[in-house]
Amino acid sequence: MTPAATRRTNIAGAIITVITVIAAVIWAFPIYWGIVSSFKLEDEVVRPYIELWPEHPTLRHYWFALTQTQIGSWYMNSVATALGVTVLTVSTSLLVGYAISQLRFPGRRALWYLILASFMVPTQVLIINHFVLIANMGLLNTWAGIILPQLIHPVVIIVYKQFFDQVPKEFREAAVMDNASELGILTKIYIPMNWGVTTALSIVTFIWAWNAFLWPFLAVTRTEMMTITVGITQVSDAFGVYYARQLASAVLAGFPVALAYLLFQRRVTQAITLSAGIKG
Amino acid sequence: MADIALQNVSKSFGAVEVIKDISFQVKQGEFVVFLGPSGSGKSTLLRMIAGLESIDRGKLLIGGRECQALAPGQRDVAMVFQNYALYPHMTVRDNMAFGLRNIGMKEKDIAARVADAARILEMDALLDRRPSQLSGGQRQRVAIGRAIVKEPAAFLFDEPLSNLDAALRVRTRVELAQLHQRIAATMIYVTHDQTEAMTLADRIVILNDCRIEQIGTPLEVYTYPASRFVAGFVGSPGMNFLDAEISTSGKEAVATLGDGSRMAMTISVPDGGAYELGIRPEAVQVTTGRGDTTGEATVVENLGDRTLVHTRLNDGTSVIALDGGRSQIAPGDTVTLRFDTSQLHLFDSAGRAYHAD
Ligand SMILES: Nc1ncnc2c1ncn2[C@@H]1O[C@H](COP(=O)(O)OP(=O)(O)OP(=O)(O)O)[C@@H](O)[C@H]1O
Ligand SMILES: [Mg+2]
Repeated sequence: MTPAATRRTNIAGAIITVITVIAAVIWAFPIYWGIVSSFKLEDEVVRPYIELWPEHPTLRHYWFALTQTQIGSWYMNSVATALGVTVLTVSTSLLVGYAISQLRFPGRRALWYLILASFMVPTQVLIINHFVLIANMGLLNTWAGIILPQLIHPVVIIVYKQFFDQVPKEFREAAVMDNASELGILTKIYIPMNWGVTTALSIVTFIWAWNAFLWPFLAVTRTEMMTITVGITQVSDAFGVYYARQLASAVLAGFPVALAYLLFQRRVTQAITLSAGIKG
Repeated sequence: MADIALQNVSKSFGAVEVIKDISFQVKQGEFVVFLGPSGSGKSTLLRMIAGLESIDRGKLLIGGRECQALAPGQRDVAMVFQNYALYPHMTVRDNMAFGLRNIGMKEKDIAARVADAARILEMDALLDRRPSQLSGGQRQRVAIGRAIVKEPAAFLFDEPLSNLDAALRVRTRVELAQLHQRIAATMIYVTHDQTEAMTLADRIVILNDCRIEQIGTPLEVYTYPASRFVAGFVGSPGMNFLDAEISTSGKEAVATLGDGSRMAMTISVPDGGAYELGIRPEAVQVTTGRGDTTGEATVVENLGDRTLVHTRLNDGTSVIALDGGRSQIAPGDTVTLRFDTSQLHLFDSAGRAYHAD
């Protein structure tokens, strides 16, 4: 590159950097604002001007959320249902993805198109059916009721299928020559060869399930059965809205997911890229 | 260890019949090479023996046992894949043990077999590594080790050396030959490289277009190619082919080449007429004395111990001739060529071969 060209790209790079930083600030500010406000006194929160730092930092809202609400149960419910959704979704999708990718059986193609098609249907469209079904089954206000309709994640199947498709067929053939059973090929060759995908998919599925709101909101009416995303909407009482309290419980609700993001940053990015590549 | 027999086997992919009614036998302990150009059906045939492709019709006998309907794992054969297919998440040791664990062998016996194989292949130091920590040659060795531990009736190799660099390929080829001598196992080896075939094989099965062109020892297929195809495929540099008009009387024949030169030979062909005359470069000598024809040298390849002289006869036909190591011939020179008529072959229009005495 000529020096002039280099300078041009440098300028372009600088402009892009500035734009990204501005975007990041715009995106991050509400989060910062929410966290900071949760440490403010209630009357500080409602002051009409921007204060970037609490005047009298306080933990009382956190204390309130932790002691005066059922946040413990909500956490518990969220952990149980999100784990349940993750384990069940990943393990079933794994089997379906493997079958469609590796086994030859009648109706394989039809099944595959069905899965692709189901991927086009937003869950919101089905939510009434889900509600009626789950209600008829008597599963409202139960973990099973929260979990079942959330097991539909065609994208996980699709990602698995694509990864299994990419495993060179010689591995399968070598394993067949090695007397491995179909289940052996799956569990000893295909899954271990694709651990990265499994971890990535587990993490995003967990985050989706943890963040789920609409369905758990419909499926649960009893406070002690609520997941944390639903529960925090209950942190107001008859005397009106307490912003700082709500924000404190929201921070508590988001904390595990934020932690997961931080711990598994690379895997999460990878998983989001994977599923985004398919979601298009 | 056992002999392998294919009896009238056929195979179709969809509507296309790729293997048509093939029969042959591999003797116990024999090293047989399937040689042929790309798409000639070598891999398909090997995979049919392995069980990775089904056999539509015909029988496959391994050690006298009918195997065409058995699962691959039941056939008592081991396969070495071109890309090795080593399980990347397992150590070398586990790679070798995998197949043995699947048949429920005791860990103690497995350990003994793995140790044996490691000793034979001199790779004790590699046992706890992952495939990604091995060089290409070492991976190749592990792939062979994985086959050895099974103590199979036969080893099947599908182009096992094609992923190695030239020097390593030569070395591994020699090691394979030594391995075959040491464990005296039946081996079937697929390659499109005729040097590999010539150096390794007890017998070569030459395939073309999914048919067997010839089965024979390396020397047989080299000296007495059964067809025009075999003649052209085996040998490097390849055989020279010239159009010739043959007039024949009994065992004697006279060939007239395109440039008008004539030569007499002892050969039995049914009729006179147009044939293709084949002769290997080493049977065409550059001479200062009397010759059969003359040509103009176009390219001179000095190989040190010998010189390949590419010539053009005056009718435009190319002929490669052999000269000694310190050849003085330069491109553009006119050279006299003498054909060793005892090493001539004639091919009729159907590709059938006739050999001179
Ligand atoms: N799964 C398949 N489906 C359809 N046709 C196939 C299949 N496998 C091989 N063939 C066809 O069978 C023929 C023989 O193929 P094969 O792979 O045995 O050739 P090859 O001699 O091993 O060639 P190469 O040297 O390229 O490996 C080819 O014409 C190929 O197109
Ligand atoms: Mg092949």
